[in-house]
Amino acid sequence: MTDDILVVDKLTKRFGGLKAVGGDSGLSFKVKRGTLVGLIGPNGAGKSTTFNLISGVLPPSSGSVSLNGKDLSKIKTSDIASHGLGRTFQTPRAFPSLTVLENVMVGADSPGERLMPVLSGAWRGTEAALKDKATEVLAKVGLEGRLNETVSNLSGGELRMLEVARQLVRDPEILLLDEPTAGVDPSLQGKLSSILVDLHKEGRTLIVVEHNLHFLLRIADAVIVLQNGELLAQGTPHEIKNDQRVIAAYLGDEYAA
Amino acid sequence: MNIEQLVLTVLTYGCLYGVMTVSLNLQYARGGMINFGTVAYFAAGAYAYAIFTQEPPSGLDQYAFGFNAPWWIGVLAAGVASLLFAIITGWPTLRLRGEYLALTTFAFAEVFHSFLLNERRIGNGSVGLSNVNRPDFSVIGLEDKYAFATAAVVLLLLTALLCRRVLASPYGRAIDAIRDDEIAAETVGKDIKRMRFQVFVLSSVPIGFAGALYAMITTLVSPNLFTAEVTFFVWIALVLGGEHTIKGVVLGTIALVTFEEVVRSFHFETVRAAEIAASVEHIMTGAIFIMILRWQPFDRIKKKRAAA
Repeated sequence: MTDDILVVDKLTKRFGGLKAVGGDSGLSFKVKRGTLVGLIGPNGAGKSTTFNLISGVLPPSSGSVSLNGKDLSKIKTSDIASHGLGRTFQTPRAFPSLTVLENVMVGADSPGERLMPVLSGAWRGTEAALKDKATEVLAKVGLEGRLNETVSNLSGGELRMLEVARQLVRDPEILLLDEPTAGVDPSLQGKLSSILVDLHKEGRTLIVVEHNLHFLLRIADAVIVLQNGELLAQGTPHEIKNDQRVIAAYLGDEYAA
Repeated sequence: MNIEQLVLTVLTYGCLYGVMTVSLNLQYARGGMINFGTVAYFAAGAYAYAIFTQEPPSGLDQYAFGFNAPWWIGVLAAGVASLLFAIITGWPTLRLRGEYLALTTFAFAEVFHSFLLNERRIGNGSVGLSNVNRPDFSVIGLEDKYAFATAAVVLLLLTALLCRRVLASPYGRAIDAIRDDEIAAETVGKDIKRMRFQVFVLSSVPIGFAGALYAMITTLVSPNLFTAEVTFFVWIALVLGGEHTIKGVVLGTIALVTFEEVVRSFHFETVRAAEIAASVEHIMTGAIFIMILRWQPFDRIKKKRAAA
């Protein structure tokens, strides 16, 4: 097994004539196993679209994404999750007709989601273990007291935590988090930060899209900077902080040396 | 008004239509699929039963097929016919959502109706197939009317049990998730196409069985019995019962059938009076339907319960 868990190769996405990701030559980068990578860039840089392409929500116009050497473009979107890739969304997506606990339980692949075990009743033995696991991850994100509530009772920050819990119950190898701190109050941000650090320590690979650079640069091993859908810079947080192109992209040319 | 006859009719047809509303509940209220072609699956079952159990054509008969099979083969054939029709109509419409799916399923049902009306070799065209065979209930010492009412109740109970088994499982949870947010469901490994297709096909099978029972009861299958009116009747019953719960949709259907049968059971002195009563019945059904859509009493009850 190579050291690179994710390889993005000459990836492009066009919406009509608009080059949303990859420009003319395509977006290419590699992510090392077990690292926490920040994906940053000004608004409209193509960060969320890149996440959508990696997770199969959008098909690429050209190029490929490989996870553990497997070309994801040849795999159904629903199967990508089974290959160990999880993601959250810029605007949290919950299932409003399900309770908080069910929202997390539905994240796992249960034998009871196949018709034959459902009709025979063979799934019943697996439900208790799944419930325990879902309760455990909900405790990890601080939602242990909200198990039977509907998701409409949760705040924006709690919904983000719920999304993380729904992915954690799947035990993903690589997790893509899209703006996890957006709309999250400072106390929850601290909690989220410690969750990310814990996940990182567990050996998971994390790619985090984030506008809160103070938050991100503190915890990231590497940072990828996008601008207009193309790779602007790549390096350690220290290198990125001092990269004049990045400073110019974020603050304007007059701030770059 | 003959109370016993009224009760039996309500039980028989209420349960028969109840099978359709419970199936539709699985498709629409839980699966999020609007099927406006319900009658076609009902007709497929009825015709399959009639074709399999009738005698082979002879003399001036215009239909081409008759297998003289026992009633239980006919019932099985009805389930298979409905399943096959669901596969044929479900597969190409898998990507469609909302009103697009509603229109396409409606179109499929209209095409099927037109096919039955014009193709004499299958269902004898507009004349239909008459003298459809009935099982011999005398062997169990039961009069036909009681036997059919019992069969309808049993079929409804089996359909409700099947739906409850599916919906009360992780499968039901995944279906709810898919209806709520397809993209989020897909990113946690839910195969949307597979599950939607399975729900669509699975819920069509009991409708086919209901079609077979209907053919036995009426001893006639003809295109004018299987019009879009049946579909809309089932949809009204579904809305009347408040969607989502099996108990609700069954009660809604029984209530609607009871209302119609009570109106029909009145003895009218003149034809004109009967015509007016029939019109009033339709107007009142429509008015109740509109009122429920406007004020959504079941959603209010649900919210109040959730808040309590």
